[in-house]
Amino acid sequence: MTKKIWSVIAVAMITSISLLAGCSGKEEKKDAAHEFQGSTLSMLIWEGYADPSFTALFEKQYGVKIKASYVTSDDDLLAKIKAGGGDAYDIVTPNGTMAGFLMESGITEPIDTSLIPNFKDISPRLILPDMKKDGKIYGVPYMWGPNYLIYDGDVFAEAPKSWSVLWDSTYKGKVGMWDDISNIYIVGEMMGLDKKDPGALYNMTEEQLATARKKLMELNSSVRKYWVSAGEVNDLFANKEIVISMGWPLTIRAVNEKGRHLKWTIPEEGTTGWVDRFMIVKGSKNQKLASLYINFIIGAEGQALTAKVTNYSVVNPKAAEFMSPELQKMTYVHEMDSLFVKLNFWQYVANRARYNEIWTEVKTGK
Amino acid sequence: MRQGNRQGRSRFVLLGILAPAVIWLVLFLILPYFNLFSFSFWQNDVFTVRHEFNLLNYAKFFTESQTGAAPYLVLLDTLKLACWVTVCTLLLSFPLAYFIRFKVTRYKQALYMLVIIPLWVSYIMRAYSWKIILGTNGILNSFLLWLGIVDTPVSFFLYSDVSVIIGMTHIYTPFVLMPVYTALEQIPQNLIEASNDLGGNRLRTFLHVVFPLALPGIITGGTYAFVLSMGDFLAPSLLGGPTSSTKIANIVQQQFGTSNNWPYGAAIGIVILVLVLGLLEVTGRLERHFSKLESTSPRTLR
Repeated sequence: MTKKIWSVIAVAMITSISLLAGCSGKEEKKDAAHEFQGSTLSMLIWEGYADPSFTALFEKQYGVKIKASYVTSDDDLLAKIKAGGGDAYDIVTPNGTMAGFLMESGITEPIDTSLIPNFKDISPRLILPDMKKDGKIYGVPYMWGPNYLIYDGDVFAEAPKSWSVLWDSTYKGKVGMWDDISNIYIVGEMMGLDKKDPGALYNMTEEQLATARKKLMELNSSVRKYWVSAGEVNDLFANKEIVISMGWPLTIRAVNEKGRHLKWTIPEEGTTGWVDRFMIVKGSKNQKLASLYINFIIGAEGQALTAKVTNYSVVNPKAAEFMSPELQKMTYVHEMDSLFVKLNFWQYVANRARYNEIWTEVKTGK
Repeated sequence: MRQGNRQGRSRFVLLGILAPAVIWLVLFLILPYFNLFSFSFWQNDVFTVRHEFNLLNYAKFFTESQTGAAPYLVLLDTLKLACWVTVCTLLLSFPLAYFIRFKVTRYKQALYMLVIIPLWVSYIMRAYSWKIILGTNGILNSFLLWLGIVDTPVSFFLYSDVSVIIGMTHIYTPFVLMPVYTALEQIPQNLIEASNDLGGNRLRTFLHVVFPLALPGIITGGTYAFVLSMGDFLAPSLLGGPTSSTKIANIVQQQFGTSNNWPYGAAIGIVILVLVLGLLEVTGRLERHFSKLESTSPRTLR
């Protein structure tokens, strides 16, 4: 009797072991899609860069979750990385303001472009010097665009010609500006500092800074609100609190959806621009997944979907076939070069603390 | 011997009960303050902090910069704002508390709760709702236009010092009402009746009985409003205008955020801390000085 029981147990054990073995064998064969099942990819990004219209596609394909945290300025980005680091974020999307610094100080890691086949489709013009070091790629361009002068088409009969319109008393109390040191660059452009050397805006002398400070102090009385986030400037335009502001295409799209007529222009003094790029934070435990996401989103369809949400310009010209004619026009997808040469791309400001100090003085009126 | 043993045991039990609280205080209050204090004497590098003792952060706060005025002036601005908020909350809370205490007979509790309920609503919601009310096309301006009082929307309602004061007054009124109401509630009815019997009219009773006895509650409430509005950075940044959205708490927050200068932020934090501790000491003394009722023992009233 007992013998029988033992043999039954033995058979049961053998079958279960073989079943388990079979299972594990099958698991090994599972494709890459399931390798990441249940992982979470954390991104520290600008507003508009984690819209469900594209993140959901990726989440579904790989069975992962995308967690997005937003930054409101380049300084905010640095502060958040400083506080969180590789444990908190896998991917960040800085522009030229901070990217070079992040690369040089070893906060981000080189990116293995062999995992990103779509990298070859990126317009070579957009692979800037501050994305490479020692032959390695540290930044993969994502979206780019100008810092436009945005105005309410119902108030302005024609496009303002110069940034000086912000100081025009006609629009007193109806001006919005970003709460950021980039306002100093705008005054720099009005002073003509970047005519010869684009880098001069990011390297202003103490004397030039004092002039900019004075000019911005004068602007205080015209400003309704220094906005912090894209969401805030959208509300300001939508509620008719302001009629003109520096801003991004994202705002034009969001506000015009509510039946308004915002327009954009590049004033004669020129304007600054940015190329947001993906960087992988050192110590990230999801480097491979991060590369997969980058590949997905710089692919033609990922680019078109991001452009649809943000109205920013794409880095992959192949995206055009997935874009509506209006979107193609708005994002200058066929005239990339002509837009590109008009812009003075943001650079790292070595004396950033001083720029920030000046900006705080302006904001406090002291 | 046995007694000593028992004493030892009860001391042990007491220690056991207090230990979590002590650990909590040390971990989350004393250590962070100590940390803040030591940070304030160090120097900032771009991504790190240099550990060399110096007083430069404090000097920076109190001296003029290359181009602008000394940063401590923002602290003075903030104190001015806090004074306004304190006055406004008191002017709103005292009559309300007086009304609920002496004039309302039914639904007293319900009325009191109505004032307290906003505390359950998220801070940001309350601040945002003022944007809808005070905006250029907001409820208030639409109403004034409809009444014909103004021809064009009034712009200073929102994104100005006015909106910051209104927002904070709304947010901090419950904190003031509670102690003021408690103080009024503790005034025994027989004292008021005695005043009346002795020929004191309503004003006299109010000035010589009710108000002096409510003073400790008013001081407590005023202190709450002052200290809370001084440390608030959300209301200014949401409701403030171009030059009124950066108060001292915003400056501190900026140092730990966008400006990335933790030591300087710590130094300003310490200055504010010293100021608040001094203030609490003064108001505490004032409160004791004006306390004529021993609320716990009715003996003195006999």
